[in-house]
Order: sequence, then C-alpha cells, then structure tokens
Amino acid sequence: MTTVRFVAPFILTFALFVMFHGADSPGGGFQGGVIAGSVVMMLAFAYGIDSTRRWLDVRAVPALASGGVFVFVGIGLGAMALGGQFLQYAEYEALFSHAIKYGIELVELGIGAIVAGVAIGLFFLLATGFDHITEEETT
Amino acid sequence: MTLTLLEGAVLVFVVGCALGAALLKDTLAAVMAFAAYSLGVSVLWLILQAPDVGLTEAAVGAGIMTVLFLLALSNTSSPDVDRLLEPVRWRTVALVGGFALLIGVTVPALPAIGDPGSAVAGGEVTQYYLENAYAETEVRNAVTAVLAAYRGFDTLGEGVVVFAAVVVALSVLRREVVA
Repeated sequence: MTTVRFVAPFILTFALFVMFHGADSPGGGFQGGVIAGSVVMMLAFAYGIDSTRRWLDVRAVPALASGGVFVFVGIGLGAMALGGQFLQYAEYEALFSHAIKYGIELVELGIGAIVAGVAIGLFFLLATGFDHITEEETT
Repeated sequence: MTLTLLEGAVLVFVVGCALGAALLKDTLAAVMAFAAYSLGVSVLWLILQAPDVGLTEAAVGAGIMTVLFLLALSNTSSPDVDRLLEPVRWRTVALVGGFALLIGVTVPALPAIGDPGSAVAGGEVTQYYLENAYAETEVRNAVTAVLAAYRGFDTLGEGVVVFAAVVVALSVLRREVVA
C-alpha cells in the first residue's frame, strides 16, 4: 500500500506526459489514457475494489468518457462555428497562437479521457461480481 | 531476409506464447501465455520501428486486457484441469496450418524493414506527411499529426466506437450483475 501510494502520482504524471508529449514523441491519448486507467486499477488492488469505488464516485467514470467525446466533438464544431471545416484547427489561430498544436493536444486529452473512462468503467463492471457482497449502485 | 539474434528470439517467443495460449488447458495459464504474447508483439513493433503501436500493444494487450481477462475468470468457476494441453483435433490443425501457410507465403513479398524503395516509404502520401507535417501542424511526431490533424475525423470515429462499445458493455453487464 505504501508503494502504491508513493508511485501512483508518478504514474499519473507519466500518463499525462504520454498524452501531451505524444505530439513530439511516441505516445498519445490512447496510450496515456490506458496508463491513467491502470493507476485506478493499481489503487484497487492495493486498497480493495470497494473502497476505491467509494473513493472515486462511480458516476465520474462515464462522465469522464463522455466528457472526452464532448471535448473532441466540441473542438470540431467550434472550428465550424468560426467559419472553417470540422476539426480545422487553423480557425482557432485568430483566438490564440499555435492553435493547431494546442488543438491537437486538447484532442489527445479528450481521447485520453475516453480511453481512461472506458478502461476504469470496464474494470469496475467486471469487478463488481468479484465479491458478491457489493451492492450494485443505482443511479 | 536476414534475422538478427534478437529478432529471431522474439519471433520464437511470440509463436511459442501463441501456441501456449491456444493449446493450454488451464484457462489461467492460457491468459498468462496471451499476455506474454502481447508483450512479445509489442517488442516486435519496436523492432519494426513503430513505437506508437508498440506502446499501445503493451498497455492495452499486455496490461488492461490481462486484468480484464483475469477479472472475468475470477467471476466464473473453472473446472478441474486433469491434463496440461487441450486435446487437438486434426481437422483444426489442418485448417489453422493451411491458413498460416497461406499467410506465410506472402511474407517474402514484403519489403525489408526500413527499405527506402518500398511502396510505403517512397509513396507520395508518406513523403507529403514527412515533409509538411511539422510546418502545417507544429507537431514533431508525424504519427500524431496524421492521427489528430490530417485524419482527425477518423480518430473521432475511433474514439466514439470505443465509447459506444463500453456503453453497450455497461448496459449488458449491469443487467447480468443485478440478476
């Protein structure tokens, strides 16, 4: 448990690094999202699945995944609203410089959120049957 | 086609793990063999100079997939294993062997790794991306440039497919857990 507590922030940082630095080195949203999801799995192995579920608030997981989709689509539609085509990052150049680079980074972050949400969600779903005392969350 | 010692060793490892995953009777052992297979394949991607794919294979194939498989296993009851290997039917061997042979015949037709004259490396589209990706997107990793900028719409579709898949899994599994 001590190791996990010590290592978790570093792995989360590494996940964000893979997501952001994917623009300049191997990596990207898909890989970073999986690494971020694995942090939660590691916490669950160390502290128990149920307490991790309670700590995380399960509703945050689908919110994370759908938030990622919204970010991606939002950036695409935003470019259209500015008069360009879907996902034409160059349209944001009027608002701030290096718009294409930051647009790509944001999209990668959105992908990362989708993938992390999916990984954590599937993990919790399969883990609920793991010990049958867990009562199913009703939303 | 020449192989270095490392490439040959990884190839043998991957094929061995694949055979293990297919033939081992104990499901847990098969899942472990499959995880090792994924790890070997991710090293192969690195050898083929595709670190982005290698990273994905290692994180998803060897990491998340194994955890999900193990969780699914722990939810099911596994029968006692009385033997090491699955009984093999010769019809299956003939079918799989024939398919492997068919795929294998095409391998010598592939260009060598890093061959500058190959259709992929010398192609007009590839050259365009390599020459213009940084100037047009300010992103040094050409893979990311193609993924998020030139083929952004495809990537959105990919993300939505993953999202939709988990929504379906959620609705099905949730019912299973409650019942």
